[in-house]
Amino acid sequence: MDTILNPFLLYGLIALGAVGVAIALPRRKAGPQIFGTIIAATAGGIGIALLTLKAGKDFPNVYFYIFSAIALGAALRVITHPRPVYAALYFILTIIATAGLFLILSAEFMAFALVIVYAGAILITYLFVIMLATQAPEEDEIEVLTEYDSSAREPIAATVVGFVLLAVLTTMLFRGVDHLPVTPVDRTDALLADMPRKVDRVLRNHGLLEDGQTANVILTDDGGLEAVQIAANDGADVYALPREQWPAELPVKNIEALGFNLLRDHPGTIEIAGVILLMAMLGAVVLSRKQVQLDEDAKLKQARMLSDEVEGNEGTAAAQPGATV
Amino acid sequence: MNATELLAQTGFPAPMATITLAHYLFVSAAMFVLGIIGFISRRNLIIMFLCTELMFQAAGIALVAFGRYHLDFTGQTFVIFVLTVAAAEAAMGLALVVLLFRRKESLDAQVWTDMKG
Repeated sequence: MDTILNPFLLYGLIALGAVGVAIALPRRKAGPQIFGTIIAATAGGIGIALLTLKAGKDFPNVYFYIFSAIALGAALRVITHPRPVYAALYFILTIIATAGLFLILSAEFMAFALVIVYAGAILITYLFVIMLATQAPEEDEIEVLTEYDSSAREPIAATVVGFVLLAVLTTMLFRGVDHLPVTPVDRTDALLADMPRKVDRVLRNHGLLEDGQTANVILTDDGGLEAVQIAANDGADVYALPREQWPAELPVKNIEALGFNLLRDHPGTIEIAGVILLMAMLGAVVLSRKQVQLDEDAKLKQARMLSDEVEGNEGTAAAQPGATV
Repeated sequence: MNATELLAQTGFPAPMATITLAHYLFVSAAMFVLGIIGFISRRNLIIMFLCTELMFQAAGIALVAFGRYHLDFTGQTFVIFVLTVAAAEAAMGLALVVLLFRRKESLDAQVWTDMKG
């Protein structure tokens, strides 16, 4: 099989990316993070440029490169941006780019579900929690990043571990993947046999099926589609509808195939997913109802804050002698 | 001489005609690894959770790509369950994070080192 990239080149790029990410991770004193981002982006960019060059003049699917570059770049910013809110927003960008990749893979339903569920629901929950769990800056005070946001823990070790894993994964990927068997028949359109009313309706709407005729979907022995037949009711005059004459709505769409797969082939797992969601909801409710016992430090801190507020109020009240206290 | 020929002379294989499964798997692996690096190195609990979501995304790309490769829709069905698990995980995890934050007024994972066995 062909390798997509020369392995040495690939590992060089991986090492370069690792250096970039290690530098880009936030650390205590501001400085070279931006260069790290640039280095990592350069490594990714060179990789993508090489892939594109090797694609030749045809540019098979330039959207793949665009979407994957956006997805990986945004993912890099998710892990390197010191401010959690921005990290969450970059994650939304990753999700949207991933939805684009799903569209290229002709998984339309998953692309939309991803945007709706992930970007619309899960990430908004994250943003809520980030807002809830961040101390608001005092008035007329510049917002400072907390120490745990502005410095990473063991950036070099983490990057080495991660990119060694990436090197191993990509080795497997370039050596072994192509030997997987490819399914010989496309079973997607064979699902038409399970949708007789759709076949009937579509063919009737396009005038291909007249009164007194019926449409039959014939399957091959191994489950593929053999033909869509139109037959007169008395059994005479049978002919197969050639694929070029199919109306545009007739082939099985992604969402129809997914629906059959989900509800006919995996009904039990749906129930389990429902139970998981219910348990998660119950768990979240139980957890957030719990009264928190503050430990000594936090108690002291809160008491000090409260007393500061009271003193501040008294101070203003004293400054205005006419005010009723 | 164009760039492709130049590359071919220096020992590179012939140009790829199409996007292969390996391209998607590479994107998936890179995203997964970025998630792992973030999970290990960041100290903010919320960002650590965000990095697990990044890894879920990477797994989803691999699943959908394999599903397309095998012309089988089970891969996409599985992504629905990945979404379910991610939603459940976000609900539980974020409830825990809020609870922990209220107790110590900090999102630092290292504050909780006293929970080590």
